[in-house]
Amino acid sequence: MIFRVITIALFALSLGNVAQAQEKLVADLDQRKVQITTDFNGAELLLFGALDRASVDDIAIIVKGPSKEIAIRRKEKVAGIWLNTENADVVGMPSFYHILSTKPLEEIASLNTMKINKIGFDFIPFKLAPDSRIDVGPQEEWQQALIRNMENLGLWSHQPESIEIIGEVLFRTDIALPANIMPGEYEVRTIHFRDGAVLDDSVSTLNVVKSGLSAEIYAFAHNYAAFYGIFAIIFAVASGWLAAVAFRK
Amino acid sequence: MYLYLPIAEISMNVFLIIGLGGAVGMLSGIFGVGGGFLMTPLLIFLGVPPAVAVGTEANQIVASSVSGVMAHMRRGNVDFKMGGVLLAGGLTGSTIGVALFALLRELGQIDVVIKLSFIVFLGIIGSLMLIESIRAIMRSRQPGARRGKLHQHNWLHGLPFKMRFRKSKLYISALLPFGVGALVGVLSAIMGVGGGFIMVPAMIYLLGMPTAVVVGTSLFQIIFVTANVTFLQSVQTQTVDIVLAGLLLFGAVIGAQFGTRIGAMLKGEQLRGLLALMVLMVCAKLVYDVVITPEDIYSLEFLR
Repeated sequence: MIFRVITIALFALSLGNVAQAQEKLVADLDQRKVQITTDFNGAELLLFGALDRASVDDIAIIVKGPSKEIAIRRKEKVAGIWLNTENADVVGMPSFYHILSTKPLEEIASLNTMKINKIGFDFIPFKLAPDSRIDVGPQEEWQQALIRNMENLGLWSHQPESIEIIGEVLFRTDIALPANIMPGEYEVRTIHFRDGAVLDDSVSTLNVVKSGLSAEIYAFAHNYAAFYGIFAIIFAVASGWLAAVAFRK
Repeated sequence: MYLYLPIAEISMNVFLIIGLGGAVGMLSGIFGVGGGFLMTPLLIFLGVPPAVAVGTEANQIVASSVSGVMAHMRRGNVDFKMGGVLLAGGLTGSTIGVALFALLRELGQIDVVIKLSFIVFLGIIGSLMLIESIRAIMRSRQPGARRGKLHQHNWLHGLPFKMRFRKSKLYISALLPFGVGALVGVLSAIMGVGGGFIMVPAMIYLLGMPTAVVVGTSLFQIIFVTANVTFLQSVQTQTVDIVLAGLLLFGAVIGAQFGTRIGAMLKGEQLRGLLALMVLMVCAKLVYDVVITPEDIYSLEFLR
């Protein structure tokens, strides 16, 4: 925490005046790499920056995780029980999409501006996999279901008023990464709005990597699946045998 | 203390996993079943992806069965010949089961199939065991009640390929234990259970084996069936989490020791009756889950 305060203070000294002079947005993260180690239980990042007239303008920050293919399943009541009867696969969906902003998005700019700049859940391209199609209901319903479920899982979220403005030019915010975060490359995009228009944006990347023993086990299980299987069996037999011997009366 | 599980890809409290292993291990020590049928739904409930819960449980059961069989071997309660035939069926069945599992997963129906298989089997077995144990308790209260035959003879005894199983005191068609083994093998692959809770009643009621050799023999063949499932799941779906299995195992071994002592204080029919009630409770919970209207009819699954 002290380190963070010092970082901000130094940042203010070195860039504050420059930013004011050049009307340019500057933003960065306090770390570029998050390691999912064996004891990983979520992480918190600090994003800080400076821009001209921070106190009157608006800022939105989008943290976007690696793209995934996601199956959306729809239940229907069949013979008294709920079964998954329909499904659609969507591709290129960000596994993580957190929006942080100074105000609720609709108060910052018009829907059209948000659409052009691809800001918000509704403007994440909803693209079906080549072999997938929607047979039941309008696509809009499936898209909203995806958004709703991602929000419930905490993977997508919108946190208005989560950016702190310090003085005239500085801003900072904490980005919380949950424990179930997926490894991969994350894009952190900071967007500067003035009077409902996008003035500037700045993109930083963040790498979330598995590391340590859990990464090695995962790699082993996928690259040498047969050996892993045999090892798992030997491990189980040895443990069982050891237990029987240890507790023998 | 949290630990990131490499295959399940979630962070879980270590003591919660060990505690869970301990609780289920204690129950399996009391009742002489593997406990997979309780552990798999509990793991799913705690947020472990269903496919990983199934693959990992198979791995853990290998260990608990090895440990159990060693205790039964010392008492000479394992019929290796019968175990071998059950095993031949079990390996055939579990290979089919793993392929079926991969197919159902592709179709997106795996969770429903796992749930329905659990409901049907827990329901049938729980009810049968409950009725049987109530009858046994009633009979034990009437002194001088007549003992029944060793087993009933029916059309199943007319099947070809007859074989003699000395330890089980049986002369029956080899197709019968082979079929029972195959059925349990399919189920253990799909449901991630050792199948002891299906195998044991099937051996007593369908094959007519003496109760004394049933548990040891069942455990003996379950080792090989679950080892096969562990291997095939590792190769085909990469869903065996060795860290999760190890932690569960650690708790289960300790829990089983306490369980065995508690079990020794209860009568056989009381044990079966209590187990039956427990099985029916798990079943009722699963029925409730598929019958009530879900909060959201849409759900997601990450593919790749």
